[in-house]
Amino acid sequence: MLIFAASDKGGTGRSVTSANLAYHRALAGDDVCYLDFDFGSPTAVAVFDVADAREATEERGLHAYLIGEVSEPERIDVWARTEHQVLRDPPPGCGRLVLMPGDVSGGEFATTDDNLRRCVDLLMKLYYEFDLVVVDLSAGRSYAVDMALEATAQPEMSEVTARWLVFHRWTRQHVAAAASLVFGRRGIVAGGVDRGHDEEALRGAIRFVRAAVPDPESPLWSQVSPTQSAWMRKTDGDLKQLASTAGIGYSQVLGSVPLEPVLQWREQLITDEDVLDSQIANQETWQALSRLAARLTDDKYWEEA
Amino acid sequence: MAAALGQSARSVLACGEVRTCLLPSFQALDGRAAAQLLRLRADDHVRVSERPTMYALSPEVLTGVDCRLPTSNGSKVRAVGTVVARAALTEGRLLQSTAYFSVPAAGPDIRRPWGQYLVRPGLVEPFGKLPQQATAEGVLRGAGRGELDLGTIAEGLLTALRRHALLDRRVPFKSRPTHLRWVARRQPEGERASLTNFTVAEGGLRTMELRLPQDVPAAAAAGLCEDLALHDWLLTTVQQMLDNSRIGATDGPSVVEALHPVVVHLLHLWMPRAHVDPALGHLWDVLEEKPGFSRQWEKLSRRIRDRLALQAVTTPHQALSPR
Repeated sequence: MLIFAASDKGGTGRSVTSANLAYHRALAGDDVCYLDFDFGSPTAVAVFDVADAREATEERGLHAYLIGEVSEPERIDVWARTEHQVLRDPPPGCGRLVLMPGDVSGGEFATTDDNLRRCVDLLMKLYYEFDLVVVDLSAGRSYAVDMALEATAQPEMSEVTARWLVFHRWTRQHVAAAASLVFGRRGIVAGGVDRGHDEEALRGAIRFVRAAVPDPESPLWSQVSPTQSAWMRKTDGDLKQLASTAGIGYSQVLGSVPLEPVLQWREQLITDEDVLDSQIANQETWQALSRLAARLTDDKYWEEA
Repeated sequence: MAAALGQSARSVLACGEVRTCLLPSFQALDGRAAAQLLRLRADDHVRVSERPTMYALSPEVLTGVDCRLPTSNGSKVRAVGTVVARAALTEGRLLQSTAYFSVPAAGPDIRRPWGQYLVRPGLVEPFGKLPQQATAEGVLRGAGRGELDLGTIAEGLLTALRRHALLDRRVPFKSRPTHLRWVARRQPEGERASLTNFTVAEGGLRTMELRLPQDVPAAAAAGLCEDLALHDWLLTTVQQMLDNSRIGATDGPSVVEALHPVVVHLLHLWMPRAHVDPALGHLWDVLEEKPGFSRQWEKLSRRIRDRLALQAVTTPHQALSPR
């Protein structure tokens, strides 16, 4: 299965969250490949903590592959190459976790026939090899999004299940922007239909992930004043109303990730060690990520709403 | 002049790379479909043999090259000639592509007309003297940018085949392709071929070093390497499936489900040296001795059968009876 991770704007935690999802699936035994299609600002190397391995593979990344400079994009075996202490010792029985990094110097580029051809070839090859392929796309209505839509519309990819996650923060502007990214006049659905996707099927393959959501009921906010608390509840309710009106209400949401300082500031994978031993990350975050990861392939969450 | 050319054409080194993967088709292909898939050229036939295993070998296609040879010591040797590529399909299930070439000890310092390279398919001539050791090591290590990259040629052919309209692009299970790089040093005619090194590296890479008598064609070495790569892929893939947690730790129907593809698609594929040139068949003995390819395969298949038998014993009768 292919998972495309898109977001309306930067700063939604798209990269770090989707990397965490890949990590959770690998822990559960799946062979997972993570592709950094965030051309121009690749972050996955930092998230997986593989900077040294990246040095060695400089300029042989996905960008160089797609424009035809190298015949195969570099792969980094995360378990073997990471400098992260906990990740170095994955539990027995976990699946492979492979990162295909982007190129630091690679900016956006047009979707030419050759680039598209190579993109389809790569996605098909990885589909034959991995249980789950996570593709992190640049924010907004980018070339990366265009290429993903175009590639998945090709007849040879018709057998491949592709699903889309749209990450957005839990604010008025982000909710509106996410809705417009998907359903807007130049949105993902319209762009997909233009390229030959079936509208119903494409809509059914898109779910939203609410990121950095403060939970008014969380013990974190138990010390705030009653007025603050009431305001938070009210605003949360208003946002839910707004999301629902914008067509990205409850039935379209795959899950939400709580506001988590470790995700926000460290931008790295959250390991069980962060939760259990050093306790810098919240148990709820771990559970939310784990739930989300499981739902990626749970058809119950992807039925027509 | 002709004699001089003939002399320089005598190769001292043959190098190749084999890529092995599962054919992306839900059903294994039969002989006819295999021939259709591997018809890389209109003017040449696909060789299909049905015994002892169904094996189809494509005609050879040439890729013209004019670039640096990969070298381990950084010496820059330009070379011109043609690389041979071919594909094979075993039991309609395992797809392989190979790219290989031979190099003479030395070549002229100027580029000759193409026609002269084309009459010696699979020969790449260096400008000047060939740094033999460095080139062999360079090929095994893998090509850098701008160097003759056998992997690119082999992968290109594989990609084109996987795109073929005949295939439904559905794999019965997920598996990882492997690639095997090999170099064969030439030795005087009449001496026995030998296998000097076989290593399993990370990332699905294997490397192999051979000694090959002058009278054995490079194509025969390519055939041997394909055979070894195929069986190494089988061992690697089945071992990986067994190591998977969902088989190791769990019980119940999920074990049957996980092992099902191995039994249906892979167990019957083991048939070492079935299509290897008789002059090279004995090289298999080395690998049978140590690490013991067939021994390991027997162990794996026994483990799978035992696992399934155990599952059948513990499964209540009603679960086994037809619904």
